[in-house]
Amino acid sequence: MSLSSQEAQASLSQVEEATRRSSQLYFYHRSSPHLIMWGIIWIIGYGGTGLFPQYSNPLWAVLVLIGCAGGVILGRCSKPDGVKSGPYAWRFAALWAVILFFVFATYAILQPQHGRQFAAYPALITGSVYMAVGLWSGLRYVISGMVVVALTLIGFFYIEPIFFWFAAVGGGAMILTGLWFRTV
Amino acid sequence: MEQPDPTIHQPVRLKIMAALKALPHGEAIEFVRLKAIVGATEGNLGAHITTLEDAGYVAVEKDFVGKRPRTRVAMTLQGRRAFDVYVAYLQEIIGAATSA
Repeated sequence: MSLSSQEAQASLSQVEEATRRSSQLYFYHRSSPHLIMWGIIWIIGYGGTGLFPQYSNPLWAVLVLIGCAGGVILGRCSKPDGVKSGPYAWRFAALWAVILFFVFATYAILQPQHGRQFAAYPALITGSVYMAVGLWSGLRYVISGMVVVALTLIGFFYIEPIFFWFAAVGGGAMILTGLWFRTV
Repeated sequence: MEQPDPTIHQPVRLKIMAALKALPHGEAIEFVRLKAIVGATEGNLGAHITTLEDAGYVAVEKDFVGKRPRTRVAMTLQGRRAFDVYVAYLQEIIGAATSA
């Protein structure tokens, strides 16, 4: 039994396609619990800001800390015993750190004046990051990012009260995305 | 290598091995997810996994999540080595054809 170069090339193409698909589904699966957790955090954060605007800063500070700690715990819980952290574990934590840094740094420089701007900006950035990540990691991320960005812009320009809109559609979109990523 | 590994040298089993090799070492994949990647029927996939398991290339774990049974498959160290050798064999053939 020997193979021609065409057969060998065809076999290698099958290997590459299966590898690509497996990596993609693995990434979706691993990111799913993180998205659901951050969706819940968004609902609490934006909903709490809408109800008790005077407590928004400490509320978000606590929620961000919970989110970061939760991300580490989820990363550790989702890997089997004896398996070292995969390449995605630290990237997720780093990704959220980069997003948060960018958002707060931009606030410091541009100093937005309205609550709507504070509310819409992180959602806009998050949606854009999803789309960028999706260029390498899969179409589902691109679609999710587009949905988050579209809902953010609709909310910013047309919806009142905006915080409850972001709690419902921003947090809801993240949770639904997380659930979607669990399917196969 | 004169001959390709007959266990891996079958399209469905080759895809299974490639899908498992893409995971971090020690990670397992659920049967349903593997089925989606490989595009085989349940019975067909199960039969090929058994062949790979008998060869020592994959390990199968069965457990329950709540009341739902779950089957997960992971590549063994022996499987990783065999797959690497097989891929090197394919690349060797292509390389030889290109340089000829």
